[in-house]
Amino acid sequence: MANGMSSPSGIAPRTYKSGSIIYFEGDKSEYIYVLKSGRVVLTSVKLDTGEEVKEEVRQGEFFGVKSALGRYPREETAQTIGETIVLVLSLSDFERLVLRNVNVVRKMLRVFSNQLRRINKTQRTVLGEKDTINPDAELFRIGEYYFKTAVFQQAQYAYKKLMEYYPDSKYAGTAMDRINAIASGNTAVPVSGMEAMDDIQPDSAGFDDFDLEDKGGSDFEPAPAGADAGSGSLSDEMDDFLSDDSLGDLDDFTIDEPGGVDENFIPHLFENARELFDEGHVDQALEVYEKIISSDDIVSDDDKRIYENSHFEIGRCYMKQGKPREAMASFSTVIKNFPRSENVKKAFFYVGQIFESAKQKDKALVYYKKAASMAPGDSVSQQAAARIRQLQG
Amino acid sequence: MILDERFFSRFGVEYSPNEIIFCEFEPGNEFYFIQSGRVKIVKIINNREKTIDVLSDGDVFGEMAILEEEPRSATTIAMDRVKLLKFHRDNFDTLLQGNPQLAYKLLVIFSKRIYDAKRRLMILLLEDPQLKVMDVLNMLSEQDPHLDLQNEITLYVNAPQVASWAGMAEGDVQKVLTHLSRLDKIELYGDRIVVRNIRDFQRVVSSKRKSMFS
Repeated sequence: MANGMSSPSGIAPRTYKSGSIIYFEGDKSEYIYVLKSGRVVLTSVKLDTGEEVKEEVRQGEFFGVKSALGRYPREETAQTIGETIVLVLSLSDFERLVLRNVNVVRKMLRVFSNQLRRINKTQRTVLGEKDTINPDAELFRIGEYYFKTAVFQQAQYAYKKLMEYYPDSKYAGTAMDRINAIASGNTAVPVSGMEAMDDIQPDSAGFDDFDLEDKGGSDFEPAPAGADAGSGSLSDEMDDFLSDDSLGDLDDFTIDEPGGVDENFIPHLFENARELFDEGHVDQALEVYEKIISSDDIVSDDDKRIYENSHFEIGRCYMKQGKPREAMASFSTVIKNFPRSENVKKAFFYVGQIFESAKQKDKALVYYKKAASMAPGDSVSQQAAARIRQLQG
Repeated sequence: MILDERFFSRFGVEYSPNEIIFCEFEPGNEFYFIQSGRVKIVKIINNREKTIDVLSDGDVFGEMAILEEEPRSATTIAMDRVKLLKFHRDNFDTLLQGNPQLAYKLLVIFSKRIYDAKRRLMILLLEDPQLKVMDVLNMLSEQDPHLDLQNEITLYVNAPQVASWAGMAEGDVQKVLTHLSRLDKIELYGDRIVVRNIRDFQRVVSSKRKSMFS
């Protein structure tokens, strides 16, 4: 692969008879060879086709370099044709040699880099990934991913790079809007922005940015506790939204029949579902949560807590999927059936969001106020207070 | 690798936790050496962020930019306060001349990357999902020279990571893992997988591989 090596001092040549094997595929060894005279043929098998490939080493060329340096098994068999002399280098011999001759390294790096590029290309082909990409569309897609998951710092970076390298891109306008939105802390996904994305992001918009975590808006004061003391009791409120026509009749929401879930599996399932959800596999997460709430293996207190949390998480899944009606049903179960659950406050908040999205401002305010007034004054309270100010302001 | 302070003052850059160093699909002209801290390599695949690798002191990344400009193939994000050396392709020659030990290190890194990429390709080329999952476990067992492969081994990997290596959907990987655990071939935990007999997996995969092209 690299020429121009004269016999380096202190390294003894080794002579092989014709047909000798210098090393076999699969051998582990830390020696690197240079062909001095004679012929060496390297035989390997192509990974993707099973085809046998023979390659002849040229005089002065190294072989066995990658497997020795990377300390992995030989990927080819090296065999001599005719009497052959090679130089055998240990890793430290090789290192010394390389340190004295940077040009050799440069040539090798070029060869290695091309090989890596080729393998990566084959990988992409096998994975069915597209070969031609539009970097501007892709940068925008990444920006949108982080924007919607409320990782604004990363979103900002992707949008800025898009503007820097592809200012004429059709995504530039939306990217600029997003950059400004992030800078001003106004990060609710605007409807106008969604159109530009339609061709690359078939997500249903609107319900996608409901995560309470990592949100800005900390400049809002939390509403004082009991701010909504004048409004009706909890059960009144629930009846109120359960009788809301636009959201349909929610009374038919019942817990599924018990299904077959492995014993002692509940925490494991919940963990899985959380992970799936966090990673954007909402459909699958929902399936797992459904499994949990239909399980007849709810025994320990821990399981019960998970069972309650799963109802809440199902609501979150439905929100991600843009199904407010179903989400509402789940949150109402949490609020009605598990009033002591740690998720009640969040459930109120989400119900507020659902009403807000359904343009029912007054109802939204009622539930935001519930959330804002519940102790302790945490980020959910602040979020709720922020929404209240927005809706009233 | 020890490089003096002057070197850092010329090429050194620092990043705060969660800061992006470069983004997938951004044009790449520089490559980096990690002096201290951890860097996460991620990709957004099917609308989710997947961590492909975590690199630390002494590691190199962005090395595909050494020879020519190409869009970055992944996003890199600082996990801690990270100190890096950043080199532009244009001063690569100067860099090599002045730091041949760095040149040697790059050769080693490329050798490993090529092997890892080929190894992953071997997994991807298997068609059967169960074999793919088994071979991911094989690959992970090969990477740790301290494992005693004659006995039960513990691999610190979870289903999403296996899925990413195997190029499979997580649900499918979960199914295979559950199946293998029902057969008592493996034991599943949140953060690790215990394999009863990895030799068994190696045999199954290698016999399949041999028959693949015949």
